[in-house]
Amino acid sequence: MSMSLSGPAQPAPQRKRSFARIITNLWLLAALVAMTLAISQQRPQLLDPGNIATVLRSFSIMVIMVLGLTWVIASGKIDVSFMQVAALANMTCAALLQQGWGWGAAIAAAIALGLVVGLVNGGLVARMKLPPLIVTIATAGMCASAAAALGKGTVIRIADPGPLRGLLETTLFGAVPVIVLPVLGLCLLAWYAQERLAMGRYIYAMAQNEAAVVAVGVPVGRIVVLLFALSGASAALAGVLLAANLSSGQPTIGGAYLINGLTVVLLGGMMVHVGKPNILGSVTATLFLGVLFSGAALLGLPDYQRQIIQGALLLTGLAVATGAARMHAHRRKGN
Amino acid sequence: MSGRFILSRGAGRVVAFAAMVLALGAAFTLAEPRFLSNANLAGIARHMAANGLAALGLTFVVIVRRFDLSLAGVAAFTAMTMGAVIAAGLPLWVAVLVGLAVGVGLGLVSGLAISRFGMPDIVTTIGVGSICAGLAFLYTGGRSIFQNFFQSGITDLNDARLLGLGVSLWFLLGIYGLAWFVMHRTRTGAAFYATGENPVAAYYSGIPTRRYVTLAFVACAVCTVLAVLLILAESGNAETNKGANLMMPAYAGVFLGAAIMGGTSVLASFAGILLITMLLDGFALMGVPYYYSDGVVSLILLGGVVLFSDAARGWLAGLLVLLPAKAPATQGEKRG
Repeated sequence: MSMSLSGPAQPAPQRKRSFARIITNLWLLAALVAMTLAISQQRPQLLDPGNIATVLRSFSIMVIMVLGLTWVIASGKIDVSFMQVAALANMTCAALLQQGWGWGAAIAAAIALGLVVGLVNGGLVARMKLPPLIVTIATAGMCASAAAALGKGTVIRIADPGPLRGLLETTLFGAVPVIVLPVLGLCLLAWYAQERLAMGRYIYAMAQNEAAVVAVGVPVGRIVVLLFALSGASAALAGVLLAANLSSGQPTIGGAYLINGLTVVLLGGMMVHVGKPNILGSVTATLFLGVLFSGAALLGLPDYQRQIIQGALLLTGLAVATGAARMHAHRRKGN
Repeated sequence: MSGRFILSRGAGRVVAFAAMVLALGAAFTLAEPRFLSNANLAGIARHMAANGLAALGLTFVVIVRRFDLSLAGVAAFTAMTMGAVIAAGLPLWVAVLVGLAVGVGLGLVSGLAISRFGMPDIVTTIGVGSICAGLAFLYTGGRSIFQNFFQSGITDLNDARLLGLGVSLWFLLGIYGLAWFVMHRTRTGAAFYATGENPVAAYYSGIPTRRYVTLAFVACAVCTVLAVLLILAESGNAETNKGANLMMPAYAGVFLGAAIMGGTSVLASFAGILLITMLLDGFALMGVPYYYSDGVVSLILLGGVVLFSDAARGWLAGLLVLLPAKAPATQGEKRG
């Protein structure tokens, strides 16, 4: 089961090459701007400071959720447990607060739990050589189950808003929640690690040919464990932010995020690096999806139509990325 | 090929499976004597029919080394489609044909995208599943469809009996028998296995591997439609969440079965889904909340693949001399 998007080299006409480059570098950003303009023509409320703040708030949470996932998918693996890890962290945080724990301790415990799930995923994939999909389907089921069991199947309310609430609610210039700043800082850090550290190179090399990377002496097993652990921890952090944002623990909050998260990562994979999920792409795609959802809600589209649009978007992104990766492979071969 | 291998060499595995069924049955009977009542056994047979068909569909896809995560979405959309046809007053067979046609179409979309255009299987099927889940709302905006269900005779699929057993169980056995024959006794089945084991070698042996991958996704969607048909027959209405509970048992059944029987096969999936259905029904009978039973199924899925993985087998072989010296080394579905 290879998640790598680069298929076998296919002969492609010469003129398509530079076209592929333009698509992959600017497509999504241009689409984001065009879509924002188009929707704000119909519904000027889209650009109200209050609406921008709402979009950016869910953007921040979503970016954190897919930060680790981006690299897991970039390395040619898959993690479908991230949204349930977030749900479990969300419920753990709420349950511990209900028990009288402080916010600091509850946050630490929830993130530690996410880290543990990530380590289990990574360990089973790297050491036991089990298929990532099966491992993470199973851990997702267990996390969802544990999340529901924590609240006996119902929502846990959080009385004390806590310190994160301030970060989410306070806005700069009335439109930018403060939380955006640390989130973007984290993204920059991740971008640096991906672009300038050896680890980032290894991630993409693994997607191409894991055996070769092992053969040159890279500790691939340890990197896989690290990537899954990061995915678990960042999803758990998102779950904690959701707890603060919603002032409650929601056991079934995970479900919707699976397709959102994958759409964001795959759509982002069309940008900057051809056919390869990357941090900058994920951030842009998250903003794209956030604006799209906000616009769809303002235009009065029902939920199911949004779901259809999103699925179509995911498939389109995937098809374009697959096609671009093929052209790219051809170009490298041609030179 | 693989099936014959399992049948002849795997007597120990069959005994182990029988022991697990007996142990599970005994444990549930001790905890809740009603487990062996006729009503409960009939319930297990009914649920097994729906779960088993979904698991069978997944088996084809897993044999060609792909995954299909569109099960729930395809189930929801085809449930509402068949419901809408029945509600429109058309006869049952038209509804079934329309449902099957939609299933074939959806399977072709996923299968062609994956085999022809080289799109990654997991994300493609998640996307197709999401679109289908959205499309399921098109007919009624999400309201349940129940008109004409009793007049159409669909509930007979659930209630009618033949030789003392429910019709749905015969239906399941018939389709499994057919699938077993095709997959383990014909060249077509061998071609499916070859496509999964080594697509390049299969291709140069003259097997149109892309066609078999597409076919596997079509078979999966068709089996899902049949599973949904049984669920509609049992509940007597169509809702958009029908089939939401098909996916997890199907995966658990296929991979647990493969772990016990030493490879993915039609019989292995049958064995796996029998265990999973017994477990789910037993828990439901004992009044265990749904959220615990989901967790236990996940735990068993993970436990099964871990315990029977190559790595674990290596460690166990080092620890226990009791294990058979020649543990069949199937690399099967355990490879990433």
